Amino acid sequence: MNFLLVFFTDIKIVLNEIGVMATVPGQLIWEIVKKNNSFLVKEFGNGTQSVQFSKEPNNLYNLNSYKHSGLANKKTVTIQPAGKDQAVLLATTKTKKQAKPASLLHKSIMKKEFYRMAKSVANQVGDNYYRADLKKAALARLSAVSRSLKVSKSGVKKRNRQAYKVAGRK
Amino acid sequence: MAAAARPLVSVQALDSDMATDGSSLPLPEVMKASIRPDIVNFVHSNISKNSRQPYAVSTKAGHQTSAESWGTGRAVSRIPRVSGGGTHRAGQGAFGNMCRGGRMFAPTKIWRRWHRKINVNQKRYAVVSAIAASSVPSLVMARGHRIESVPELPLVVSDSAEGVEKTQNAIKVLKQIGAYPDAEKAKDSVGIRPGKGKMRNRRYIARKGPLIVYGTEGAKLVKAFRNIPGVEIANVERLNLVKLAPGGHLGRFIIWTKSAFEKLDSIYGSFDKTSEKKKGYVLPRAKMANADLARIINSDEVQSVVKPIKKEVKRAPMKKNPLKNLNTMLRLNPYAKTAKRMAVLAEEQRKKAKKEKLDKKRMPITKEEAAKIKSASKSWYKTMISDSDYAEFDVFTKWLGVSQ
Repeated sequence: MNFLLVFFTDIKIVLNEIGVMATVPGQLIWEIVKKNNSFLVKEFGNGTQSVQFSKEPNNLYNLNSYKHSGLANKKTVTIQPAGKDQAVLLATTKTKKQAKPASLLHKSIMKKEFYRMAKSVANQVGDNYYRADLKKAALARLSAVSRSLKVSKSGVKKRNRQAYKVAGRK
Repeated sequence: MAAAARPLVSVQALDSDMATDGSSLPLPEVMKASIRPDIVNFVHSNISKNSRQPYAVSTKAGHQTSAESWGTGRAVSRIPRVSGGGTHRAGQGAFGNMCRGGRMFAPTKIWRRWHRKINVNQKRYAVVSAIAASSVPSLVMARGHRIESVPELPLVVSDSAEGVEKTQNAIKVLKQIGAYPDAEKAKDSVGIRPGKGKMRNRRYIARKGPLIVYGTEGAKLVKAFRNIPGVEIANVERLNLVKLAPGGHLGRFIIWTKSAFEKLDSIYGSFDKTSEKKKGYVLPRAKMANADLARIINSDEVQSVVKPIKKEVKRAPMKKNPLKNLNTMLRLNPYAKTAKRMAVLAEEQRKKAKKEKLDKKRMPITKEEAAKIKSASKSWYKTMISDSDYAEFDVFTKWLGVSQ
């Protein structure tokens, strides 16, 4: 047992000298951040009835919870529209670069048809065991983002605001 | 034991440096201190009370009259009324908090306890916690700073930044190290304060940008950076919690210069070595040495001793009524089977016997049997008469109707 502990600390020493931060664990960060952070949005209701949303970019459901939080997890996934029409940005965080925000994200822009994008998202998030628990969330967000891009391209549906008159009735 | 195992932080080189100057420094122990938002909040709320200026109502307010009550009998209420005549003021109520022009209830006094004393150790704990929190990107982002383009946290810049004299160059420096978006956010956020503070010399509010911490006394950068909106400057030796955790919220975006970063170790010491500048001060120890619960639970030492997960859920079996369900009855009382069997057989016997009896009765009697029955009844009648004592008397001959 003793040599096992020494072995682990040796690995840590080697890693640290390379420049890896022994980070503050995610659960500690979550306890600090869950009640009070600049991305927190509380809506629809008083007290226990309201939903808590969170606007940070790395949150797939935009829900304020530990599993979905973009702040408290080392591995996060984000899917966003990428500027040019129909292009979607998929980004995952790199676990070794937690202390370097500029080079933290592994970005890739996808401009394929929806089925191909869905397959690549499923592969990157679930099937390579990166964050298999977020696979459904990632696919859901991908659908929402693609749909919004389609809508923005073709314009918002024009709704006829005239009152609907029923013919032949007084 | 793990003293040598400190991660390295690379120093960002600015344009004016030579290409070979970029180096790295070991992380000071301060950044590993425990992060305690509760202590920081408490100390911050107390420290911010210390810069208050007293306010109070004039001591004479409301009493500069010689009012006296008119007493009873004059059809007015009994509060003191202003004496004299010839003006509106005469006869008006005075002195009470309910009166117009009277003094307020509990007039505010300047000897209210405005300042708060906080233990030195608590103040140091809070500062140390705030410094540690500033090195965690999640917390700095959660506080609202724009650090997406910052190359590394904690952000250390080479000492040539301390020699920057013009604000133009200061902005260039910020842009090179990726801190400009945060300063821009602060500049864009200037707005007019809601409320009466507007007219009390607190008209504008803005977000906070980066805090620049320098090491050498009298560095030129103070004047260069101080006019940039949102940017604040501080010397390492005099770090203020109000600047490190504005609003009581941990995680200010801090830009260190190289000399400031190197000084941190000597100012705050480490977990076992006392600090050089603060006599006898040692960094506070955390309650848990390793707070990473997920790693502890999944570690070999724990998993090897833990029982396996119970995947199947044991549900309670449904209760069955023995009086209706034969098998549960037999489980409780095995004799019930034979008892039942006996009962069934007995019932069949009874049925059979009854049926036979009825059948026999319902069957028409044969002529021989009928004749037998008739003769038997006749002979019985005769014997009945002869046996009875009534045959001796003549009176009954009519009824008996049998000739002897």
